[in-house]
Amino acid sequence: MKSECSSISGLLEKYFDQEVTPEERSLVEGHVPDCSACRMALDSMQNLRMLIKNPVEEAVGKESFPWVWEKIEKGIQRKERLGLWDFLKSWLDVTPLLKRKILIPAVAAAVILILITAPLLFKKTTSYATLSVVEYVESETHNVMIYELENEKVTVIWLFNGPEEEVSTS
Amino acid sequence: MRRILISFIFVLILTVLSISTALAQVQTRVRIIEASNVGSNIDSSLRDVTGQISSLFSFSSYRLLKEETFTLQKDQPVSMPVHPGRSLELTLIKQRREGAEVRVKIKREGSDILNTQVRLTPGRTVSIGGPKHREGTILIALALL
Repeated sequence: MKSECSSISGLLEKYFDQEVTPEERSLVEGHVPDCSACRMALDSMQNLRMLIKNPVEEAVGKESFPWVWEKIEKGIQRKERLGLWDFLKSWLDVTPLLKRKILIPAVAAAVILILITAPLLFKKTTSYATLSVVEYVESETHNVMIYELENEKVTVIWLFNGPEEEVSTS
Repeated sequence: MRRILISFIFVLILTVLSISTALAQVQTRVRIIEASNVGSNIDSSLRDVTGQISSLFSFSSYRLLKEETFTLQKDQPVSMPVHPGRSLELTLIKQRREGAEVRVKIKREGSDILNTQVRLTPGRTVSIGGPKHREGTILIALALL
């Protein structure tokens, strides 16, 4: 289905301009009723043709070509002024094959990102303030005492002087 | 189509980088204090520390000898001299939303005389004291900014 769609979409312009062979025509006509993307492509070609054809026909009657150009220009400008949603739709307007190629990795990456960041942002830890402040203390040269007062938020690690300490006192 | 993919990857990389950068550094204030019973002067900038430790010690004078602020980055030690022949080395081990785990080493002539790991939380001061200095004692006060 995917490869059929991508090969048919290449034929759409030729089909629209009636330049296809009978085999290609039957291929396109067999595919288009079941494919919304190709139908939309054909519709937009039709719209574009009408946009140009109508003013030209009017102008032929009036023989006023600057007026024709003015009408065409207005039509183009109206098309260019797309709303935000239309802009997003046109931005994301991809064939089903490309949609899969992009959307699957994009969704997978988003899921991975959420899995990585969610524990960091929402992790419920034991109240940090209630845990002991000193993880460990090591000293090969001094006796060490730890004073912790939870209410006053104070922790003191006290080193009791060794004999050599007195020498370095200045 | 390619621009969607590129934009997405760019946003993804920026998000991951900003989260990891924000989580991997912390500002720490280090104050070197001389506490003694000579006189009764208490430096006004030390009121917070003296208020906290006055219930443990009965020093009458607290003098600020040195103050420095460090931006600690994970596993990157920073050091400063604290006492003749000694240096203080701080290393950020882990940062959490409620604080940071910091390894503190006091070194003398290259060898450790104290190696400890403490949890710093906002509003809490962790002090290391004991080494004598002139007629008093050195206190090293560590706090998060």
